[in-house]
Amino acid sequence: MNDQPLDYSILPPDPGGARPTWDPSAAAAGLIATAVLALAIYSGSANLLHFDAALVGYTLATLFLAFGATYRLVTWSRSPAARRYLSKSRKALLPRPLGDGTLTASAREVTSTVLLQRFIAKRSRPRWLAHQGLFWGVILATLITFPLTFGWIHFRAVPGTGSGYYVYMMGVRAAHLDALSLLGWLTFHALDLASLLILSGGAYFLWHRWSTRGNSLTQLGRDLMPLLALMAISVTGLALTVSSVFMEGAWYQPLAFVHMCTVVLTLVWIPFGKFFHTLQRPAMAGVGLHKELGVQKGGVAQCVRCGEPVEGTIFLDDLKQTMGELGLGFGDWVETCPSCKRLERGAAYRNHVKEGYR
Amino acid sequence: MTKKALFIDPGRCIGCQACVAACRECDSHPGKSMIHLDYPDPGNSTAAAPTVCMHCSDPVAPCAQVCPTDAIPIDEQGIVGSASEELCIGCGNCVHACPFGVPKLDLVEMLQSKCDMCYDRTSQGKLPMCASVCPTDALFFGTQAELMQKRPGVQAVDIFGFGDETVRTNNAMVAPAGKNLDRIPGGYSREPDSRE
Repeated sequence: MNDQPLDYSILPPDPGGARPTWDPSAAAAGLIATAVLALAIYSGSANLLHFDAALVGYTLATLFLAFGATYRLVTWSRSPAARRYLSKSRKALLPRPLGDGTLTASAREVTSTVLLQRFIAKRSRPRWLAHQGLFWGVILATLITFPLTFGWIHFRAVPGTGSGYYVYMMGVRAAHLDALSLLGWLTFHALDLASLLILSGGAYFLWHRWSTRGNSLTQLGRDLMPLLALMAISVTGLALTVSSVFMEGAWYQPLAFVHMCTVVLTLVWIPFGKFFHTLQRPAMAGVGLHKELGVQKGGVAQCVRCGEPVEGTIFLDDLKQTMGELGLGFGDWVETCPSCKRLERGAAYRNHVKEGYR
Repeated sequence: MTKKALFIDPGRCIGCQACVAACRECDSHPGKSMIHLDYPDPGNSTAAAPTVCMHCSDPVAPCAQVCPTDAIPIDEQGIVGSASEELCIGCGNCVHACPFGVPKLDLVEMLQSKCDMCYDRTSQGKLPMCASVCPTDALFFGTQAELMQKRPGVQAVDIFGFGDETVRTNNAMVAPAGKNLDRIPGGYSREPDSRE
């Protein structure tokens, strides 16, 4: 036996942790993504004419996010399993000739796994509801704040109306809005609604973390911090509304600074921790469909020992290729079902290790 | 030996299922047992074979290596955890790549789970649930020195053979001391061509 001291750490392992080695080509891809975004910001804001310099902190954090997220995506996609399934997922979701039902199947899969996240509902309905709050709150906030920060959307007062605004998108006048109308109120308070969605979902998860003993021990650092980050953004964002609506702008500047700090830290953090699942899961959205189509096409493989169904033949072939690329030399063992693997090992132990064990 | 590990001795297992019941009580997976208790020759033999995760160290955790979303965590000590809920897509790669047949896949929840050596407990210096209730020490948790002190007639082997391949693990199997073993047979010995 190897003689390493075992000093169990309370800190939990971090799934999806970044690869420790520096990857120059992934860094190059990250730099390209950053440059493309910077160019899009420059041109979309009419050469920075509509860019709000007060929001430069958000922009710099987003540029870093573009670099970090691309870097992580590239390094992640290098592993044989990820590369294979990213390709299969994309192929399964790509619309093929209309009329064969695959377009509908793709749309259904994306709606189910990415937008509605039905797999969470099957684990726990309250958790699903809470996650939907977090998900749609973040989506809403992202769709509003990113274009605003980049100067892609800006508002201009309609002269002589008092409450009328023109909405410009990429420099083009796209809509007219009355701030006192219901639509206007919803538009100018959409971020407040996003904050409330996030806070309601976050409150459930916070309670869940606190009340589940196992979770409180093993997932404190990894799960709690991202949750607190989202809630801090929401609380400080709502505080800005409270300051402007109810406090005549008192404390607005320091609150705005604190809010920016919470957002910037979170954006910078996205590529490195739990938040990265927001990119990984959608990228794998077609794997379920790939497996389904694979069974239709290639049938189901039977266990070589007991004859019971194991998995789709195409799925097992994929896995054998992955294992081969990883240097795992027992790829054919996948043709034996897990139960029979255990029984075969038990029989081998009885026959070759402890013969008297009957 | 200072390293603590689970030492499994199927020869001492009486198939009482205490480990299965205790595993369900673990806080990290309440209500779900992660241990497998198989009966290799039911009807003819009372033999039972408990299977926990062996926490493979070389090659490192094949289950984690074949995971397309990096969902399976491995800590600095080589303890391989259950799949992360937010990352696991329920593809089943880990279930079929594991040479020991350990991971479980809930097809409704589309979520993998497996023995994580009761991380909650062992990180606090407690025994894993299975070892804490095993009446015969078929599942023994401690250092190898502690095992040898208790049972001088045995040896611990942490290398398994799967055909020509070997897999080294953090947990170990118990074998008779006099037995000349360089590896424990993993049950997979057939050449691919011989199955045609």
